[in-house]
Amino acid sequence: MASAQETGSPRTADAEVERNALGWIANPLEHFGMSNTAIHSLPREEVEATQLAAMQILLERRRAQIPVLAKLADAQEIHALHAIDDMAPLLFEHKVYKSYPISLLSKQRFDQLTQWLNRLTPYDLSAVDVSQCDSIDGWLGKLRDETPLDAATSSGTSGTMSFFPKTKGDYRLCYEGLRVQVLQKFGDAPTDADLNEKLHVMTPTYRDGHSSLGSIGPYCGEVFAKGDPDYLHIAFDYKHSADLAWLAARLNAAAAKGDVTKVDVPEALLARRGELERIRQESPALQSAFIRKMVKELNGERVLAIGVSPLFHEVASSGLAEGVSNVFGPGSRVLTGGGGKGVVLPDDWDETVKNFFGVDRLFNNYGMTEMTSLLIGCEHDHYHLPPWVVLFVLDPETGQPMPRTGSRTGRAAFFDISHDGTWGGLITGDKITAEWDTPCPCGRSSAYVEEQIVRFSELQGGDDKITCAATPAAQAEALDYLNAF
Amino acid sequence: MPKQPISPAVIRGQVIDSDLVEFGGRGGDISFLAPDPHKIIDRLPLGSPSKLDDLYRISFDEILDYLEELGRQLAFDRNEHMQEACELSYGTAPVTPPILRSLYQSMPAMFERERIRTWCETSVPIPYLEGWVETQANGFDVAVRAYGSRCLHVVAGNAPSIGAVSVMRGAVTRGDTIIKAPSNDPFTTGAIARTMCDFAPDHPITKHVSVAYWRGGDEEFESRLYQPHNIEKIVAWGGFASVKHVTKYIQPGLELISLDPKRSAAVVGADALESSQMLEEAAARIATDVGAVNQNACASCRLVYVMCGTDDDGIATLSKLGKLVYEKMMGLPPDLSTKPKSYDPSLKADVDALRLMDDWYEVIGGEDGEGAVIVSHTPEAVDFADALDDRTVNLIPVDTMDEILDAVDAYTQTVGVFPHELIGELRHKMSLHGAQRFVSLGYAFNGPGVIGPQDAIEPVRRMCKWIVVETPGEQSVPLWELQEGELALSP
Repeated sequence: MASAQETGSPRTADAEVERNALGWIANPLEHFGMSNTAIHSLPREEVEATQLAAMQILLERRRAQIPVLAKLADAQEIHALHAIDDMAPLLFEHKVYKSYPISLLSKQRFDQLTQWLNRLTPYDLSAVDVSQCDSIDGWLGKLRDETPLDAATSSGTSGTMSFFPKTKGDYRLCYEGLRVQVLQKFGDAPTDADLNEKLHVMTPTYRDGHSSLGSIGPYCGEVFAKGDPDYLHIAFDYKHSADLAWLAARLNAAAAKGDVTKVDVPEALLARRGELERIRQESPALQSAFIRKMVKELNGERVLAIGVSPLFHEVASSGLAEGVSNVFGPGSRVLTGGGGKGVVLPDDWDETVKNFFGVDRLFNNYGMTEMTSLLIGCEHDHYHLPPWVVLFVLDPETGQPMPRTGSRTGRAAFFDISHDGTWGGLITGDKITAEWDTPCPCGRSSAYVEEQIVRFSELQGGDDKITCAATPAAQAEALDYLNAF
Repeated sequence: MPKQPISPAVIRGQVIDSDLVEFGGRGGDISFLAPDPHKIIDRLPLGSPSKLDDLYRISFDEILDYLEELGRQLAFDRNEHMQEACELSYGTAPVTPPILRSLYQSMPAMFERERIRTWCETSVPIPYLEGWVETQANGFDVAVRAYGSRCLHVVAGNAPSIGAVSVMRGAVTRGDTIIKAPSNDPFTTGAIARTMCDFAPDHPITKHVSVAYWRGGDEEFESRLYQPHNIEKIVAWGGFASVKHVTKYIQPGLELISLDPKRSAAVVGADALESSQMLEEAAARIATDVGAVNQNACASCRLVYVMCGTDDDGIATLSKLGKLVYEKMMGLPPDLSTKPKSYDPSLKADVDALRLMDDWYEVIGGEDGEGAVIVSHTPEAVDFADALDDRTVNLIPVDTMDEILDAVDAYTQTVGVFPHELIGELRHKMSLHGAQRFVSLGYAFNGPGVIGPQDAIEPVRRMCKWIVVETPGEQSVPLWELQEGELALSP
């Protein structure tokens, strides 16, 4: 805890900490005056005191609202937090968000799925009538229409889809936080343009969708393009379908099991297989054509471009070869990431992209569907923690939190104080290195995560340990191998 | 620096422990030293196939004499090589020391004379291994013989007995055996081979066994060794990665015998739930097939389908069974099952996530990494079924037999069934779906041994080269005497 003695009378100091904590819970961006500089300039002691107070408030509040948290906290017999690490046993495994029996989806039991989701969110979903829902999109759309939730889906190799309760406010905060941190120069106060200027948004994604991918279009349109439809440029003028994403995952899972007749999805969805195949085949070319078209139309404009590195690189290298460069206007931002799996980019790919678009750096971020706030990469490729995001580095073997000092490598876990749709505590599957004490040359006072991040699931197996017992890794590899053709 | 363990190469009766280089040491594994593979590669292949001839100058009984003696020599209490290998393997083996020691101690029994004779008889009948078996076919006298081949074994390392099995299969088929030791068991097979050098250095069987370690996927090494002029067959155990290393060298003249990774399941019929006595027995049987060797084998049970129905009464029965299974598993003797060496953290995350969802699942145990029983409340396995390990089993309630078929696919090796009579009902459909071995539940590790079929193939028959001699009979028509239009080729 921050030593109250140093900062004045204990009561005033505690009240101050509590006021700040409530501010972070309500809307951290407003609390910091929408200032990137303010966000990343707080002294460590103040950050940690406020984090502890905010987590304590949220533990009391959410315990009464989220049944699964109550069960966990009761089992752990934890009622109060005395130090930040006391929160570690109360963090949810990310797998909690897919802990429903798969048959609920294949049998379209949206009533039971709602009941399941209701145990994970502070919002009461019991009054929502989902009896008419006949698809995942329909169900999540209904929840979005009638409650504050805008749940986010993601699908993994096992073919299960996770549902993470976010609110519309969570999404807005995510993209506003992005705007604050990528448009504003650290060290300066926010300008009017930083806060209010309309930017063109160019993203080879969708009109809508119940996933991180599907959220980019609508929420960037709101936050960056300020709701002006003429400023939002997307590749696909339709909703990214959660049902099709799930179908794709189930087809992969069935193929891995060696029996493609065992795709346990409703007939109506299976009938959309052709549509899925068509989208899969057409998408890369359509996305590429979209970017080529947009860079001409947006020549000289201030643009926020969000996309995957290989696609941007492909367009940029052919553009440069045709003698086109510096296509965007001043103050434009290019956000890249992901998509590199299986694609090897040349070492100078980022120079190519920067020259073509006419920006002096590319922005990267570390985040996940199961978290509201994004960690934005600085000029030194460090992902800085906003103060309302508490990081825990867990020992990969024991799950115990490692000391919050020095440089630590382990499993990443977070408590996002700003998150509203469910419990903010999350244990990820990512192996990260956190730097607690060495200040970053970029000037931000916040702790940071190093650039190199891998999933623990990708680290298993290795070498030539051979076993006669089948493991999921072996099958995932088999699947990758088949998909490579 | 502590002394690093050595995994010597043994090539055709000679122990090689020079030119050592370091291997392993990644991902928390121990590192060890082994002879530089590139310095010994030229000595590994047999060279000329005619050098197999010495194995044909001894009788099948003499082969059994040799194996029987090897079994005696492997007696754990008297064999320093085996004691040392066992001690070193504590660091690499997936199982705990008491289980590993008991696996080492039970190795001599694998070499019992009658046991070997029996599995040969049920797989490649001995007359085919001993000489030409003559029959008549379509007017010809036909003689068939099973010849040994020059065979490379890429063995799995999760059980120390696999190297011993490979040595025996090579010996009875009169083949030349090269064993690539795995990084998770780099010591055991070498110790067996050194024992052979000690008691019979010049015996033809000793002269046809080589054991060495090289890093799986070492292209420079493997592309030189894995050639049809060096070896004729590769027996590859284990996962996709290890088989993938091998498949690129497969070509005419070099055959792959793949023993894929497997997992196993169980079925408990409604009759087994009738009385509390039967329920106890079912629990003991499940606990045994789950807990034995800490669930590290392909035959280890991971999913149990129980025909208790999915209504409240059914789930209550299943919950009772689950608690009994947990209790019995905790009570297994330590040379069969212990608290796992470590509990997969990713699996723990999965199990702990379900613990919070008591509408759909009940989790019994597992807080301390000791193993857990997950009781599903719906007729389906947990979505991480493929990752069940470290004594973690999922009990699944079903209403109909058809739902049980979901348990089975091409990765399914053993299906343990209780009551045993239910096998008659299950085996046909399940075989179509991929199941490969049916046992009485509780007997997955206590059967007749690998008597012939393994993973739905017959590896020993596949290891042989099947040669035929055709002698025309009196009725056979010489082609050269036929006129145009009289041609009648037999296929």
